[in-house]
Amino acid sequence: MTIFKFALKRSFSNTTNLIFLTLFPIACIFLPNGEDWPFLPYGYQYFGILILFVGIRLATIILEDREKGVVKRLAVAPISHFQYLSQNLLAYSVILILQCILVVFGGVLYGQELYQPGWLLFLFVSFSFASLAIALAWISIYRKKDVSFLVYMSLIFIVIILGGLMIPIEIFPDLLKRIAIIFPTFWLAEGLNWIVFGENILDFLLINGVLWLYTIIFIIIGSTRKIY
Amino acid sequence: MKMIKEPMFFVNVWRFLMIGVLIHLWIMEEATTNSFILILLLMIMTSLRWRFALPVWSVLVDAFICFLFFPYTAISYYGLAVPIFELTIKGRAVFSLLFFISLFFTSASPNLLFWFFLQALFFGLFSYLTLKNQKVNKLEADEQRKARYELERIKIDLLEANQSVSQQAGLMERYRISRELHDHLGHDLTGASLALQAYEYIQDPHEADKLLEEVKNRLERSTKSLRETVHNMTPTTLMGVENLEYIINNYYQIDIDWKKSGDTLQVPAYMWSLLEACLKEALTNVVRHSNATKIEVDLHVTGTIARLSIQDNGTVPNQNQTGSGLRSLQMRARSLGGSVSINRDNGFLLVCVIPMEKGGADK
Repeated sequence: MTIFKFALKRSFSNTTNLIFLTLFPIACIFLPNGEDWPFLPYGYQYFGILILFVGIRLATIILEDREKGVVKRLAVAPISHFQYLSQNLLAYSVILILQCILVVFGGVLYGQELYQPGWLLFLFVSFSFASLAIALAWISIYRKKDVSFLVYMSLIFIVIILGGLMIPIEIFPDLLKRIAIIFPTFWLAEGLNWIVFGENILDFLLINGVLWLYTIIFIIIGSTRKIY
Repeated sequence: MKMIKEPMFFVNVWRFLMIGVLIHLWIMEEATTNSFILILLLMIMTSLRWRFALPVWSVLVDAFICFLFFPYTAISYYGLAVPIFELTIKGRAVFSLLFFISLFFTSASPNLLFWFFLQALFFGLFSYLTLKNQKVNKLEADEQRKARYELERIKIDLLEANQSVSQQAGLMERYRISRELHDHLGHDLTGASLALQAYEYIQDPHEADKLLEEVKNRLERSTKSLRETVHNMTPTTLMGVENLEYIINNYYQIDIDWKKSGDTLQVPAYMWSLLEACLKEALTNVVRHSNATKIEVDLHVTGTIARLSIQDNGTVPNQNQTGSGLRSLQMRARSLGGSVSINRDNGFLLVCVIPMEKGGADK
């Protein structure tokens, strides 16, 4: 578990990461309620965006390894690519899960109206995994850390807006409504709606199931070993 | 973009395009959550195929996924193109025809579906043949490469054997010379020497004269024997530097300026064969390719190297590739630890340098 420990330490090593990983989630707790929409407080509606950013921030550490030739050296070390990748991802997942716990229970303690905090936490965790997997697949096509991060940021905004996380999906034209389903953020928004209005637990499990399917697909695509 | 030339690249692109087609159909026709899960599941199978070489039975999973969604969405019928393609690409096109049965009870348009399946079958077949050919070609290329390496190995072995044989021959020759000298000369000379020693002690003059006569006879015989031995052992063919000189003297086409320095006797026999080959090759090349009017040949032998340089004053433009004759010379020189280098800047210059082993020909 050396890689796991090291990945944890590295994730907190620079200031930008520290802000992303601790201050922003805490800030989310204190954001106020919206008037008509979103139904959850702003901080919780937009926490998904933060998860996407944190996902790419963490995943670029792997890209940094590749850039610096660490992956090349690991290839000749007595350690498999699977071990390297799984321990890194485990460390990132732990960080993301801790963040989700922090945000949800912080909100409960602060007194935000969260309807079903347990399910909310579950939804955020599912989405964190999907976000991490997408980021992993994303960096697998890049060689430079900065380029990948910047392009991903701009892409995130499109995904957030088209996915209905930032703007309610009801105001979209019909075609965009259909396309929105393709984006994982749509499923997060659906999940958040279920938290507020939902009754049938099967619907909620389906939403999470889809997020998990996304995770599997992107992990498969992103887990290729690239040595430059 | 080496990747784009790989047939497998196009197969993978087709696989993902298939998912694209399904997503398009889904957006255009129904856009329900259920059918989107079908697409996600097929996408998982596709990405698995992209990453790993899945066995042929994995198409059952795709077929089963599609089958599960038959009652819910028409897209699942289009999804059957995936197993059709995967079966065909593995050379099981006959089994993929089974999926065409679904045309009879589909909820989608059977006409369109038929053509859709047919193109999947056709591209699968095409990919199957391309991949198979690629595999065959790769195997053949590997075998040829192996054969070529073996041939080169044998060539080097032969050159080494050549060197060792000539060394052995030298040793055998020395042994034969020593035996000749011992058998024919040694016997008589020892006898003469012993007779001379005895001569000092003999009192009787008659006896002494007889002994002296005997010594004279023995010495005469041994002189004759020495002459014969040397005559018998002197080779009738030309050797070493004489051979080079013979080649140069019999080369009438162009004027040759021949210089030699150093002790050419130090150069062992197996090196002469290379130097001779170099000289012949260079002279032949001059006649065949060059417009030179003068050639300088310089042989220089020191204690550590033998260097033969052949320079002409030709003005034929540069041809960068080296012919097979020169390449073979380079290889032979390498096997002796030396080198053959060529310079075309100012006329044509061929320099052959061979390091001499310590002891040289005396070994």
